[in-house]
Amino acid sequence: MTHPASGEQAAVPPAVELRTISKDFGSNRALDKVDLRIGHGEVVGLLGQNGSGKSTLVKVLAGVYDPEPGGRLFVGGEEMPLPLAPGQASEVGLSFVYQNLALAAGLSVLENLTLGQRIAGGLRSWKPINWLAEHRSAAAILDRYDVKLDLDRRTGDLVPVDQARLAIVRAAEDLRRYRTRSGDKHSVLVLDEPTVFLPEEEVDRLFDLIRTVVAEGAAVLFISHDLAAVRTITDRVVVLRDGRVVAEEATADIHEQELVDLIVGASARPGASVPAEAAPVEDQRAVALTLAAMESVGDVIAVTAGENVAVEHLTDARVHDLSFEIGAGEILGVAGLIGSGAEELPYLLFGAQPSGSGTLRLGAETLNIGGLSPQRSVRERVALVPADRAVQGLSQSLTLWENIVMLVEDEHYRGGVFYRGELVTLAGEAIDRFLIRPALAHNAVSTFSGGNQQKALLAKWLLARPRLLLLHEPTQGVDVGARRDIYRFVKSAAALHHMAVLWVTTEFGELAEVCDRVLVVTQGRQTAMLTGEELSEAAISAAALRQAREVVK
Amino acid sequence: MQRLGLQRYVIVIVFACMVIAFGLAIPSTFLSIGNLSNILGGQAVLFILVMAVLLPTVMGDFVDLSLGSSLGLSAMTLAVLNVNHGWPVVLACLAGIGAALVVGLVNVFFVVYFDNDPFIVTLGTMTIVQGIIYIVSGDNSVGIVSTNLSNWIFSNNFLSIPLEFYYGLAIFLVVWYVLSFTPVGQKALVIGQSREVARLSGVRVVRQRSWAYIIGAGIAALAGIAYAGTNGTVDPGAGSTLILPAYAAVFLGATAIKPGRINALGALVAVYFLATGTAGLELLGSQSYYQQIFYGAALVAAITIPKATRKRFFKRKRVA
Repeated sequence: MTHPASGEQAAVPPAVELRTISKDFGSNRALDKVDLRIGHGEVVGLLGQNGSGKSTLVKVLAGVYDPEPGGRLFVGGEEMPLPLAPGQASEVGLSFVYQNLALAAGLSVLENLTLGQRIAGGLRSWKPINWLAEHRSAAAILDRYDVKLDLDRRTGDLVPVDQARLAIVRAAEDLRRYRTRSGDKHSVLVLDEPTVFLPEEEVDRLFDLIRTVVAEGAAVLFISHDLAAVRTITDRVVVLRDGRVVAEEATADIHEQELVDLIVGASARPGASVPAEAAPVEDQRAVALTLAAMESVGDVIAVTAGENVAVEHLTDARVHDLSFEIGAGEILGVAGLIGSGAEELPYLLFGAQPSGSGTLRLGAETLNIGGLSPQRSVRERVALVPADRAVQGLSQSLTLWENIVMLVEDEHYRGGVFYRGELVTLAGEAIDRFLIRPALAHNAVSTFSGGNQQKALLAKWLLARPRLLLLHEPTQGVDVGARRDIYRFVKSAAALHHMAVLWVTTEFGELAEVCDRVLVVTQGRQTAMLTGEELSEAAISAAALRQAREVVK
Repeated sequence: MQRLGLQRYVIVIVFACMVIAFGLAIPSTFLSIGNLSNILGGQAVLFILVMAVLLPTVMGDFVDLSLGSSLGLSAMTLAVLNVNHGWPVVLACLAGIGAALVVGLVNVFFVVYFDNDPFIVTLGTMTIVQGIIYIVSGDNSVGIVSTNLSNWIFSNNFLSIPLEFYYGLAIFLVVWYVLSFTPVGQKALVIGQSREVARLSGVRVVRQRSWAYIIGAGIAALAGIAYAGTNGTVDPGAGSTLILPAYAAVFLGATAIKPGRINALGALVAVYFLATGTAGLELLGSQSYYQQIFYGAALVAAITIPKATRKRFFKRKRVA
């Protein structure tokens, strides 16, 4: 559809060129001397795993991050000083569409389309708006890109693909306006994971739009996990791994398997498993606290045996007929790319969103997943550690102790007296044993770091003595030390309580480290079950990526 | 921590200073049994309404504007049935409570069940109920209600203070106990601070919010009965003038005792802080409507001063 620009590069400077870009976060090097060039009218795919440096590179380009000295940026052959000032990127012909699209859901399509022109300071913001004229010009814009949308529709009511197309049209139109204004030829549209939440059949409509944008004269940098999409739409691919460019090839010349190997690092493929370690004494102590709490209410049955958990025919809008078992004391990982449906599992099994169907067997009991509710799950001792710690996990404005004991309060209300002292003591013990720092039970949760909040969240649910523990991204935004602690606490809890654990994350290295088995979910379907030797970060990544390709066929 | 400790008692300290200042300025009138009785008894209706307001507010439903109308509806139902239709006063009181409970149920239906914004819904129900009050009263004050009621609410004293003060105190003790000393109250707090956390922790959010609206309406009805007993005649606009001072007291109370949290004890302190301030000002010769200015100013000052001391407001000066 477009011509790879390699032959002409000597004559015409590329639309954008980055040279020797490095970026450090503390002692961690996120980008290491990265070079990237995007020719006129070219579609370049940028590939890499989580943490490979893709988003850091985009943020350098957008002027969000200041790269280390030595990095240079050329736009249309002209050098720009780094970092770009806020808003400067759009003035030199760069436009960005992020995964969240940055659309105002409550405004109409027309208002979103013209939002950029509304944000003007001084007298211009007092200029009257001629809505009829705006309507006409907006309709013309949509026509130009062959996108059919009702301009008066509320944007939030559009289907996801139409929202994505609206965001892309808006960005592309900014670029076109830039080209006519400046007379320059270059302009680059950066698309960061635009296909993540789109059903397969709708991705094609998005690609048609991207082709139109390219035909209008813009170049595109296409960032994605989705190998199928990258292979369909791009001319050239650049693969990042650990902050370095490890490959740069014409898309037509590279095979699927090579691409997977490049992304995950071929040398690291199957084998390198981490030796299992016995739970250290202090972790057993931490977890034993929950056992002690259990004995205090005379409920000793579940401790001794533990129960197997089985999920059968779990189905909802994004998950198709998943069935799996989790043994007592087993940690089952679930791996899936963003948008695969894997991230729904903990919430469906907890009944946080009563939309699924299927059955959940806890030991001898059989529960209908469609009929679950958080109350029911808490009563059945199913625990959910949600990814959104601040909104769903802990009440930020309440104190640490109030959050930790939230689920066991009722046991400390006897004969009309609420024994708060007991609760504070219990929380104090949990703070001590789960290594929550600073150990200030009466401080608001919002004053604690992410890692300490996460440990508190885990303590809160473990105090409720769950039979099934559902974890979603349990180490998101957590520092390395706390991450280790959380791995150890969950492992100990599973081992000592014979608790079944479901661990869902997009950090595949984490799954390799903590899980006994890993279920791979792609497009809402189970596509692999990895065990033993297969449990390495590279193998899990490869499975998740490769399966994506196979399902697409 | 230390600052928080001080902030807890700011209102209590200001309250004490105010009592001392009025006491020094007008000892003979301010420091009298009559004035104490006036402050404690005279604000009992407001105090009971504050307890009604407290319940939905604790759970994060920051406005139930209709509580004022519920008060008015209960008082007017009681007056009309008792005076115009000759119902016995106890039955009339029960009918008044019933009418208010219906308003609470309507709010539950539209706010909790349909998950609408409580401000908008209760703005609507408030207006509707106010209209109903005008219809049943024919836009007239209705009185005089049975003297039996007046005796048991206002005229009879215990330790020189009208009985209605003790009724308010009893309601306060129950509300305070439930909110501060039971798991139900603790759950209500979590619902108010982080509704999603509460829901995912298995708290019955819908049920608890519903009860808050219904019991709140019931307590507002009791305030309405106290109003009828205190005044003898019921004015159609009775509740609407009380609801905003009640909210002022609740929010002012949230800056005391347990700063940042709507709490019953803080509300108690706030009600009587405001009552004492206005009583003192009246004794000094100002008109009763200065009360409104005092209420408003105290509320804004109470929520602003702790922030101003914490933020750059003063730090910037220090740097310069």
